[in-house]
Amino acid sequence: MTVKIRFFARFRELLGTDIVTDVVVGMRFTSLITTIAKKNPEGYAAIFDEKGAFREFVILMKNGKRIEIADAAKIPVEDGDEIAVFPPVAGG
Amino acid sequence: MSFGEEGQERLKRAHIFIAGAGGIGSPVSLYLAVAGVGTITIVDMDVVDQTNLNRQILHFDRDIGRKKTASAEEKLQEINPDITVNAFDVRIDETNAADMVGGADGIVDAMDNYPTRYLLNDIAISKEIPFFHGGIRGFYGQATTIIPGTTPCLKCIFPKAPPDEVFPVVGVTPGLIGMVQATEVLKYLLGIGDLLTGRLFIWDGLHAQADEIRVERNQGCEACGGIITPERKGK
Repeated sequence: MTVKIRFFARFRELLGTDIVTDVVVGMRFTSLITTIAKKNPEGYAAIFDEKGAFREFVILMKNGKRIEIADAAKIPVEDGDEIAVFPPVAGG
Repeated sequence: MSFGEEGQERLKRAHIFIAGAGGIGSPVSLYLAVAGVGTITIVDMDVVDQTNLNRQILHFDRDIGRKKTASAEEKLQEINPDITVNAFDVRIDETNAADMVGGADGIVDAMDNYPTRYLLNDIAISKEIPFFHGGIRGFYGQATTIIPGTTPCLKCIFPKAPPDEVFPVVGVTPGLIGMVQATEVLKYLLGIGDLLTGRLFIWDGLHAQADEIRVERNQGCEACGGIITPERKGK
């Protein structure tokens, strides 16, 4: 099955976007984003902390609905999911 | 007059609070002033620096070293002498925010940090007035319109502030996001169109892509979780 990952703002600069990838059935949200983010150490460090947990300000969406960071390791991705990962932008 | 006389009168009676006279506050205040919003309150604590001038179009080269509020008041009154401009040269904090917002009809977020945004979000909730959020970084920007009790608030969407950083800024991004916010203010005051509510607008200027993400209220939100939606109020 395939899913699409969309990064925004700085995450996009570091990791690209609209990444369509094959995933195995049962793969969890956190594992998927970890795998993709590891392709660029700086991108990984922007999203995950030293312990491999999502940084607390990171926003995760699955098909337009928010996923809590605390639940991301339990929630499986499903065929056709569109996943958005972004930071709030702060300037004004 | 594109809104008719009645619409223009509505704008004239309106009061909008703009938090910040920087990259977003500059275009928002200028366009709301020329649209004829009758009272504009603008707050900033900074002095104009040369490095501001690539985006903070309220301030000119000759203003370097002046207070941003003095510069803002002068420009806004020059561009529209028929409106009232209140300019406060203070840092927005818990002790002064509610008083400064006063009886304003809405708050425009032209801030550069989340702690002050969260404070303004709280004020908007307590006064039951809209909060027009905008944020930028480099070529990226985001905006949404918050109607307390109806839409997600800023804390529902962004419960945790990103870390402080010195971010690159290019003037066109706050210009574009500021125009989204100013458009929302005018639509809200005039009661026309569909507001940017329950949706986060995301702009990627580098790729010329606009996206929107649906956002929902968090019933457990520490800022607005206890508020009953207007539809449910009477039941």
